[in-house]
Amino acid sequence: MEPIAVQLNGVSKMRKRRVIGPIDLTIPEGYVVAILGHNGSGKSTLLNMLQQVVLPDAGQIIWFGKEHEGPLPLELRQQIGFVADNAGLEENRITAQEAAEFRAYWYPRWDMKLFDQLIRDMEVPVDVKLNKMSKGERRKFEIAAAIAARPRLLLLDEPSSGLDPFAWKVMVGQFRTFMAEGDTTILIATHIADEVKRLADYIVLMHRGQSLGMAEKDMVLDQWKEVWYEGDLRPESIPGVVESSLEERGLVRVITTRVSEAQERLELSNNRVLKIRNLELDEVLAFWIAGYAPVQWK
Amino acid sequence: MQDVKIPIQINENSAEPLYHQIENQLRSLIITGQLGEGTHLPSIREFAGALNCSVITVRRVYQDLENEGLLRTKQGTGTFVAQVEAGDRENYRLKAAQEAMQAAVQSGKSVGCTEEEMESLFREVLKAIYTK
Repeated sequence: MEPIAVQLNGVSKMRKRRVIGPIDLTIPEGYVVAILGHNGSGKSTLLNMLQQVVLPDAGQIIWFGKEHEGPLPLELRQQIGFVADNAGLEENRITAQEAAEFRAYWYPRWDMKLFDQLIRDMEVPVDVKLNKMSKGERRKFEIAAAIAARPRLLLLDEPSSGLDPFAWKVMVGQFRTFMAEGDTTILIATHIADEVKRLADYIVLMHRGQSLGMAEKDMVLDQWKEVWYEGDLRPESIPGVVESSLEERGLVRVITTRVSEAQERLELSNNRVLKIRNLELDEVLAFWIAGYAPVQWK
Repeated sequence: MQDVKIPIQINENSAEPLYHQIENQLRSLIITGQLGEGTHLPSIREFAGALNCSVITVRRVYQDLENEGLLRTKQGTGTFVAQVEAGDRENYRLKAAQEAMQAAVQSGKSVGCTEEEMESLFREVLKAIYTK
């Protein structure tokens, strides 16, 4: 059994528009887990509950094998890093350098050398007050500061919003380097397919406040294929077909979850496969939401 | 210790699962000697990053190839290419060529070529490539 970073058992929270949960989720330690879902699906509430910014109404949360009655102990808080969707107000009137010194006091594993390097790499001005920075600059500061605290659990709520493509690339590189160095766990709520592709090991899908489960990213992305073929084989007789349409010039387009069997069936019956395409992440998620749960590794 | 770049090409629009693609290509690089004995492979996290796949997939590939005796892992230092038997290399060479030929014949058949047509095509291709 792998060590577990956080575990949620039947966790729920009443929000203004809907109930979030009950959520059951086990996040293994040492992986990057992408939290996906539409706006308002409960991603932020989930991340906020994992550091008690929001307290659940019911259920149980276990951090690194321990449940905590009441507020989280300081030692645990010092191991959790957070890049929020909206930066806090407390540090608004100080510069990046001053904020770093403030955080160094609270985080025992704070690495000032690493912070300086990250700030340099991402080109964040050090002598400008945080509330005078552009949205992207502030975001870059928050990311650098979260990494420099060397957390054991890093929670990222849409970290790339406001970043230009160059800064985004630097950010992805920094997260990778950070992951390579130890058994850190990253939970990242995001809408950016490329971010999921480049960073995630697992995907959790949230929909209308519920978690639809967790699956390996490569399995999720590998499972769905669009196949174009020429011939008279009826789509219903092809393995794993969930959608089909007749296209121009007698071509048939099917979407299947069992592509090798489908290809074999087509070739045996002398139908010509013209093209196989991997579905994009958003298409896959639409099928997942529609009830086609991803396969798990056997 | 110098880390090598591993030339693996992923085709996203293929029926072959990602995990198979990586495993087959890595196996072929080792057996054909393009990655020599003792080559230090990237860490699981690094390799996953380079291939844009998850660490779970890379770990699986490393484990499979270790079980086949092509890789060995030393606690704390990483994963290395093991020694490949000469006989294995020979078998693999012929097997790889046969598989590619099988695929070519299969595509010929699917567009309606007869056995005779395939045979004469085969001779033509053979001549074109080997008498260059």
